Amino acid sequence: MDKIMIIEDDEAICTELNKLLENNNYEPIILTDFKNALEEILQIVPDLILLDINIPFLNGELLLQNLRKTSNIPVIMVTSNNSKTDEALSISYGADDYITKPYNPNILLLRIGAVLKRTKSNYNTNLNDLTYKELKFNIARGTIKKDDFEITLTKNEIIIFTYLLNHQNKIVTRDELMTTLWDNAEYVNENALTVNISRLRNKLKEVGYEDVINTRKGLGYILS
Amino acid sequence: MKIGAYFKDNLYKLFVFVFCYIINLLIFLAFKVNKAVILSSSFLYLVCFLLVLLIPYFKKKNFYKDLLFNIEALDRSYLVLETLTKPEFYEGKLLYQALYEINKSMNENVRKLEHHLQDFKEYIEMWIHEVKIPLSTLVLMSNNHKEQFDKKTKLQLKRLEDYVDQVLYYARSENAEKDYLIKETNLSKVIKNVGLKNMDEILENKIDYIVGKVDYNVLTDSKWLEFILGQIINNSIKYKRDIKNSYIKISVREEQEMTTLIIEDNGIGIKELDLLQVFDKSFTGENGRHTNQSTGMGLFIAKNMCEKLGHKIDIESKENEYTRVFITFAKNKYYDVLK
Repeated sequence: MDKIMIIEDDEAICTELNKLLENNNYEPIILTDFKNALEEILQIVPDLILLDINIPFLNGELLLQNLRKTSNIPVIMVTSNNSKTDEALSISYGADDYITKPYNPNILLLRIGAVLKRTKSNYNTNLNDLTYKELKFNIARGTIKKDDFEITLTKNEIIIFTYLLNHQNKIVTRDELMTTLWDNAEYVNENALTVNISRLRNKLKEVGYEDVINTRKGLGYILS
Repeated sequence: MKIGAYFKDNLYKLFVFVFCYIINLLIFLAFKVNKAVILSSSFLYLVCFLLVLLIPYFKKKNFYKDLLFNIEALDRSYLVLETLTKPEFYEGKLLYQALYEINKSMNENVRKLEHHLQDFKEYIEMWIHEVKIPLSTLVLMSNNHKEQFDKKTKLQLKRLEDYVDQVLYYARSENAEKDYLIKETNLSKVIKNVGLKNMDEILENKIDYIVGKVDYNVLTDSKWLEFILGQIINNSIKYKRDIKNSYIKISVREEQEMTTLIIEDNGIGIKELDLLQVFDKSFTGENGRHTNQSTGMGLFIAKNMCEKLGHKIDIESKENEYTRVFITFAKNKYYDVLK
């Protein structure tokens, strides 16, 4: 589980962010001692930091600058002040991304996922090949293969299957799938999503995995 | 300063002179003064009279001429005092001094108001940032506790967010100081972000978001363009028709000198009569009266921002058929050279 440190002074937001991250298989850590922020970070070494820019006793930009002197921990800046200068500055200080409040939780999760993937791909070169049970899934070529039997997936099916696979054995809401699709510039509607899912099911069935994507009524889908 | 009007104003001097001259003449006649003396003193009288009348005229003429001309010529006529040399004659000095004092007091007044406005704007911006904190919490809560918050709550939260953003961008677009940064921006990214932001509403209203080939770069501020596009798409959602295949189509037309972003919907459209006024402040028109969700500010702010960014925004529509909004970005040859 990836450790994500939340640096945020509003308690209610902290609580909810904590819950959101927990629900999505992350291990959130809330920083409470703003005065020794840098020492705490370096001691805990989280996989990613969500850093609010405007915190009492703490200048987010300064903290980021100091952090970058010793560490490459990915940082996503979060702020309610969406002025251009802040954004340009944060990126130049070494933030990996920048999000303004109020953020859409699904988009926030996508950004976190993207930053983590980007930073991890440095160690893990073989990101293109995922496996599901005995199934080989090649994202770049868009194919699923079992033994010698290979089927090509469409772009939408690739996006959906990748997402389900990354959240195996967890309920994935239609909302999450929609957000992921739209984030990949595939602007499908509700019907198209249903159609895509049933096509993906059929293709999985063809390679010998029947009923692996289950519908949980009113909640979403689950890949078992 | 017209000489005729000046003379008319100084008519009393003529009367005084004529009156004195006649009395003088009578005295001369009564004492049987030599005719030559009468003639020469009459001449002297005339010369004196003309001098008294004309010297002040020429003295004042230049000052008043400059004053009136400069007031006409300046687009900020309150700056006229700066363009004048201080007059030599007493009357002019008084006027000059009076204008100076008036100016000073007005400047103080304007400064006070500017200060006040600035304070107000700062407060509004601060307030927006403050209000976004509980708003963020609510958005997160609605996501974390789905059993307590249904989809409707989420959509209402989104509306709240939109209105807050509107205030923020209104305050910013009216501000004299520059808050935007123009750089090369990919339209597909802007369109994606706006789509994601409005996804719930678009899907809830069963509208198809159809995006054509939009992978073009334009010179703009991405945040501002996202807001502008958001306003247009919000309108498309708000004024959709009750038909099955509602859509919002986004496409780009690339030309030699410019790039045009086209947003088309098949909503209720805009009456021809209202079309000219949709960009006016607080104009809601026929459509706004029906939905009572219209503030008449969205397109006004959008247009304002487009003007600041140097884009052109146009709209065409046919009632009950379509609405098309065009945002035109000029290509900057100079920028190409720099690349």
